[in-house]
Amino acid sequence: MMLFETTDLTYSYDRVTALDRLNLSIAEGSRVALVGANGSGKSTLLRILDGLNFGQSGTVRFRGEPMTEAHFASDEFAFSFRRQVGLVFQNPDVQLFNPTVFDEVAFGPLQLGWSKSEVRDRVGETLDRFGIAHLKDRVPHRLSGGEKKRVALASVLVTDPAVLLLDEPTAALDPRSQSQVIDLLVEWGGGAKSVITATHNLADLEDIADRCLVLDGGLVVAEAAPAEILRNRELLERSNLIHAHRHHHRSGELHSHPHVHPSE
Amino acid sequence: MHIPDGYLSPATCATLFGGAVPFWYVALRRVRKALHTRLVPLVSLFAAFSFVIMMFNLPLPGGTTGHAVGIGLAAVVLGPWAAMLAVSTAIVIQALFFGDGGITAIGANCFNMAIAGALVAYAVYRLLAAGAAIGSARRVVAAGLAGYAAINVSALLAAIEFGIQPLLYRNAAGAPLYCPYSLSVAIPAMMLGHLTVAGFAELTISAGVVGFLQRSDPSLLQSTAGRAAALGETAARALRPLWAGLGALLILTPLGILATGSAWGEWMARDFSDPAARHEIAASSFHRAAPLRAPEGLARWSQIWTAPFAHYAPPYIRSATFGYLLSGMFGAGLIVLACLVVARLFGANRTWRTHSCMPRPHSCRRPASAGPAGVEKSLDTARTSACATSKEPAT
Amino acid sequence: MRLHFLERTIDGLHAGLALALDAENSAAAGGLLQQLDARVKVAGLFSLILAAALATRLWVIAAVFALAVALAALSRVSFRVLATRVWIGALAFTGAIALPAVFLTPGVALYRLPALHWPITAQGLTTAGFLLLRVETAATLALLLVFTTPWMHVLKALRVLRVPVLLVAILGMASRYILLLLETAHEMFESRKSRTVGPLAGAARRHVAVASSGVLLSRSLQLSGDVYLAMQARGFRGDVYLLDDFAMTRFDWLALAAFLALAAAAVWADR
Ligand SMILES: Nc1ncnc2c1ncn2[C@@H]1O[C@H](COP(=O)(O)OP(=O)(O)OP(=O)(O)O)[C@@H](O)[C@H]1O
Ligand SMILES: [Mg+2]
Repeated sequence: MMLFETTDLTYSYDRVTALDRLNLSIAEGSRVALVGANGSGKSTLLRILDGLNFGQSGTVRFRGEPMTEAHFASDEFAFSFRRQVGLVFQNPDVQLFNPTVFDEVAFGPLQLGWSKSEVRDRVGETLDRFGIAHLKDRVPHRLSGGEKKRVALASVLVTDPAVLLLDEPTAALDPRSQSQVIDLLVEWGGGAKSVITATHNLADLEDIADRCLVLDGGLVVAEAAPAEILRNRELLERSNLIHAHRHHHRSGELHSHPHVHPSE
Repeated sequence: MHIPDGYLSPATCATLFGGAVPFWYVALRRVRKALHTRLVPLVSLFAAFSFVIMMFNLPLPGGTTGHAVGIGLAAVVLGPWAAMLAVSTAIVIQALFFGDGGITAIGANCFNMAIAGALVAYAVYRLLAAGAAIGSARRVVAAGLAGYAAINVSALLAAIEFGIQPLLYRNAAGAPLYCPYSLSVAIPAMMLGHLTVAGFAELTISAGVVGFLQRSDPSLLQSTAGRAAALGETAARALRPLWAGLGALLILTPLGILATGSAWGEWMARDFSDPAARHEIAASSFHRAAPLRAPEGLARWSQIWTAPFAHYAPPYIRSATFGYLLSGMFGAGLIVLACLVVARLFGANRTWRTHSCMPRPHSCRRPASAGPAGVEKSLDTARTSACATSKEPAT
Repeated sequence: MRLHFLERTIDGLHAGLALALDAENSAAAGGLLQQLDARVKVAGLFSLILAAALATRLWVIAAVFALAVALAALSRVSFRVLATRVWIGALAFTGAIALPAVFLTPGVALYRLPALHWPITAQGLTTAGFLLLRVETAATLALLLVFTTPWMHVLKALRVLRVPVLLVAILGMASRYILLLLETAHEMFESRKSRTVGPLAGAARRHVAVASSGVLLSRSLQLSGDVYLAMQARGFRGDVYLLDDFAMTRFDWLALAAFLALAAAAVWADR
């Protein structure tokens, strides 16, 4: 049985069609990267996969069960789904809505009905693991971008979801923080979990994914192993993931080649 | 506008807090019903917004500056009930963390600004904008006047609360314990500032932002726009709980007592310049052993409450102050009752529920055929376009 | 020189931020009140505020004020901060309001102003004293609470005053986003300032304020929608749970008893 399966999924905002009859299936235990340029519909898709938005037409299934608003109206389904699936939002200011870091990380477990002592223990542990224990009593507002991102990750991973949806986990991070976050994720997954990551950062692709879906204009335009995608220059250029980069050589000759921004 | 600690007696504060509680209760239930679980983030964010715009320094004609409270805006965008909660939250935060407005006066400030203000603003807006198109200039004018009316009604209420203090609370020598000014001074003094500066600031922000939203985000104005029909009626109804509450306060608290004719409220303006009259008043006021000289009306009212107590009861139970406290409590009780009755009446009325709501998330999208879809749909659009206006920082 | 309007608003926003951040910092400093459980402080300081509000004798209020000042000293809240944040402001504002009462309140005339023949009455002085002392006392006590307790602890401690958990959550979230919106507004005004040459005319300045408010409103509502999704994503179904890691020590109980005894003493002395 597939973990997620969409058929002809369409989602439009007011005037913009963000997803246009999208079909995809993601297997249990796989690590998938969604790559695509700005506005290609990555965030929209992740929100739909997390049962937050619902498409206007088409279907989405989670382990064979249809994900509709009616299903989520039942507490039982909603809780069991939320226990298994976690989403880290693109904008940490949206994700960090609690007044302190500690409360932020404790929010999820408390909502899922853990006992208070269990919550305290787990939150402490998670803060340590993410190296943010010293930020415990800080207000999220005053954290740096990288710290915010780490708190956001911790606040989702604290409940140890089996399925993790990540919306640009390394965006706005300096190179060192980027690799730290990637390490955390790689270590955390341990191979047993399903991870779906949206990104337009091609440099980490092979670390975070076994399979890669290229989104363009609300459609999956390609699907392959990361190495293969990275080799397909024409596809990447067409999907605006790379651009030609011109520079002068000392000899005076103008040279142009496709170019990837490793830390975007 | 924010009443600090020390201006109102604890009894007045308690009474107004008691008067505010039923409104909060009804508002919470109502907003919860309309918004389900969205209540928490919406009220929080709007409270934060209203807090921040209070810091905006608004230049006004004549070289002065003022700041708006955002009551009019809250009522126009959120509807009266959610607006009540949002502005109350902002007031609590201001009192607790920024020392703006007293802690003991939280109930009074919420009653004046958040509750009375929101109801008045909403009623005025609905009345004046009835039937107007979303983009029409009439809505701008209506919003401006709604803000203006709201802030002035709040100021009037505050002035009345100030004005009854010297009437009721004095020490043995006759010095007022709390706000020293009677109604005849407090009302003109407060209203002068609010009819001009503060009122104009509120008017500018309400009208200006509604005009801004008409161009940038018209769907945000949809939820309180209602349909063309029966608008006047709804607006009048919006004020009903307020009138009921105020009515009860009027009858049962010293304001009503004042109306029955007391000398004390009047000494300031008239007799200040006349030394003979001053002497007379002073004599009649202070050469008394009683800690509190009750005006005639108060004495009469308090007797109703204190009479049942036997003569061997402790003396304070038979005192006029105790009578006043009891009548205050009774007044608050009546407000509760009135509100519950009013809530019942409204509970049966569907139009109300839809008016107090706000943009809903996409997750609440329902099939177009289902019941109140029109409103929900427009709310949906509202959120969508709200998102479109400002860009997420971390893309 | 009159300050530029944009600058003044930015200053105001800055002051708001600074106040919030100052409080956060001094809450970390070691001192008497900082060591106490937040619930003890909320209940204790509130009871003192109430005692000051109920008092009918000047010396009782003055005693509570002295107590507040002593508490500030023991908690390493500097008098300069208290003076600039509370005392001077309250003195100026309430002083202006109380001044006319000195002449207007009927009573025993102590002195007459030379040319105007306005009497200064004993009752007038007393009533002005009441107003000023009460305002200063309550404001000092309130500031002590904020300055010695992290925000979130104050909020959670409000539960001892029977504030519903839903409201505590709303207050918490609002206070979190106030900082974000303050900063957004600050940036809007700064960028506006950088593009503005010379002072703006009145209408243009109003326009800036109005447009900024409009943008901020849209942004707030957008955020509220997104935050709602983020809450849902972590299992929020409308019920709020709070984790309060408060634990009362013997010292806390002692302090609570002391607070309540002092408040009761003030009320008793006032009889
Ligand atoms: N709240 C919204 N209202 C209206 N349109 C929206 C909204 N959110 C996204 N869109 C539009 O939907 C499309 C897909 O957006 P989405 O956020 O899913 O893209 P993305 O792939 O995540 O982009 P990015 O890499 O910039 O994060 C875009 O054209 C965008 O403009
Ligand atoms: Mg995105």
